Amino acid sequence: MAMLEVRNVNVSYGNVQALWDVSLDIEEGKIIALLGANGAGKSTLLNTMTGMLKPQVGTITFKGERIDNLPSDKIIEKGIAYLPEGGRLFPDMTIKENLELGAYPSKLWKTRKPDLERIYKMFPILGERKNQLSRTMSGGERQMLAMGRAMMSNPKMCFFDELSYGLSPVMAQEVFKIVKHLHAEGITVFLVEQNVHQTLEISDYAYVIENGRIVKEGEGHSLLDDDYIKQAYLGI
Amino acid sequence: MTLFLTVLINGCILGSVYALVALGLNTQYGVAHILNIAHGEFIILSAFITMTLYAGAGLHPLVALAVAGPIVFAISFVLHRTLYKRVKDMSANIGEFEGNAILVAFGIYFIVQNLMRDKWGSATSGYQFMAFPVRIGPADIAANNLFVLLWAVVICVVYYLFLMRTRTGKAIRAAAQDAGAAALLGVKINTIMALCFAIGGLLAAFAGVLISMKEPFTTVSGMNYTTIAFIVVVLGGLGNVKGAILGGFILGIVGYAVSTYDTGMMFAVFYLIVLVLLIVRPKGLLGR
Ligand SMILES: Nc1ncnc2c1ncn2[C@@H]1O[C@H](COP(=O)(O)OP(=O)(O)OP(=O)(O)O)[C@@H](O)[C@H]1O
Ligand SMILES: [Mg+2]
Repeated sequence: MAMLEVRNVNVSYGNVQALWDVSLDIEEGKIIALLGANGAGKSTLLNTMTGMLKPQVGTITFKGERIDNLPSDKIIEKGIAYLPEGGRLFPDMTIKENLELGAYPSKLWKTRKPDLERIYKMFPILGERKNQLSRTMSGGERQMLAMGRAMMSNPKMCFFDELSYGLSPVMAQEVFKIVKHLHAEGITVFLVEQNVHQTLEISDYAYVIENGRIVKEGEGHSLLDDDYIKQAYLGI
Repeated sequence: MTLFLTVLINGCILGSVYALVALGLNTQYGVAHILNIAHGEFIILSAFITMTLYAGAGLHPLVALAVAGPIVFAISFVLHRTLYKRVKDMSANIGEFEGNAILVAFGIYFIVQNLMRDKWGSATSGYQFMAFPVRIGPADIAANNLFVLLWAVVICVVYYLFLMRTRTGKAIRAAAQDAGAAALLGVKINTIMALCFAIGGLLAAFAGVLISMKEPFTTVSGMNYTTIAFIVVVLGGLGNVKGAILGGFILGIVGYAVSTYDTGMMFAVFYLIVLVLLIVRPKGLLGR
């Protein structure tokens, strides 16, 4: 049994179906990737896995327990963190306040002080500037803060939605390095990306989604050599 | 110098009430997206509740804070959970909801106002409370006015600290900035919206209690306060708490200064300020 299992999930926005019979496994301790072009349904799947959307059909389990019928705060309390597309920071709140909100669910709020210290150790720059408004940070620093906020809940598993989007190649590399570091610390990673090459290099296993359907899956390195992936996603 | 001091102190007194009135409206609009036309009606309702308790049962007007406050808070919360929540679910997006919500608020405005008129008539009402002057330097200020200033400032400060320091306060600010992102972190958005609408009602009730201590009112004067709240909110910036407080005091001082010349000119000047502001700085003094 995988740590997280998605089974035969269908999701619709009104009359428009966005996910069709999606199934995937996230094994504990691994880096699992989901690749796909714009509009393929990546964020829709993540929003479903975090309780923002309810599947019409199918189930999602975490450590054997159904989570597809739970509200977001309960899912976070179970140890799943979500770094949404674009970071979604609160621009008029300080770095410290943004971090604190990462521990909003009531069980986590109680331990937010030691958690803050842990994050400041992980990202010293956030501690040095804790009273700065997040609107005044650079793009890279913001992504750092978004990662810190996701880590506030002390997650066992973290979903990253297009972490590298909009970052310079150097900064993107930096961000992937942090992901690998978090993984080394024992966090199971689900990496949702359009940056196919870099992602496949660091992931154990990957799924490819097109028009709301999983069309391909395999080990990271083997997909790098896959003819279809080369042609459609790597432009080789 | 005496005139300056008188205008400044009385302006601050007027402004503190304006700030309170605007803070309520701002909370309702900034988070729940409801431009509450009926805001002033709940101010007046609370003023009448205060008068009834004071004149009828001999209770100190401050006691009304603990009576009118919870009543209006509860009414507002229930209104949101029933009417507004339904309208929100029926609206395609937040813009459409804002439009529909104004219509709902208009309906509530008429209902509350007419119920009040039925009960209390439309004559001017009020009561005598701490009606003696206090000397501050060269100026004579009515004691009840200073009492109102004190309590309005206390309420504004407590509310500000609530927003800045508490878990719920931070969730409210987060929801005002990006409701979707707040939801992703586990904030229950519908509950926060209902709570903010109710807090707006609570602040309206507090304002009504204080207003009744210092000036006469009628069952039809609610719209005056709603209008002032709108102007202050435009002045300070939509959804901006500091802006609402600052804007309230500025408008109070300007309003009082104008009214020492000519009371009738006050609203004319207010509208002029809004007009100029909408052209020069449409996001308000502290808006971005
Ligand atoms: N709130 C919504 N209402 C209606 N349709 C939506 C909504 N959100 C997404 N969709 C549609 O669902 C499909 C999948 O969108 P989704 O955001 O999941 O794609 P994505 O893979 O994350 O794309 P991107 O890489 O651009 O972020 C798209 O066709 C999109 O238009
Ligand atoms: Mg997306």
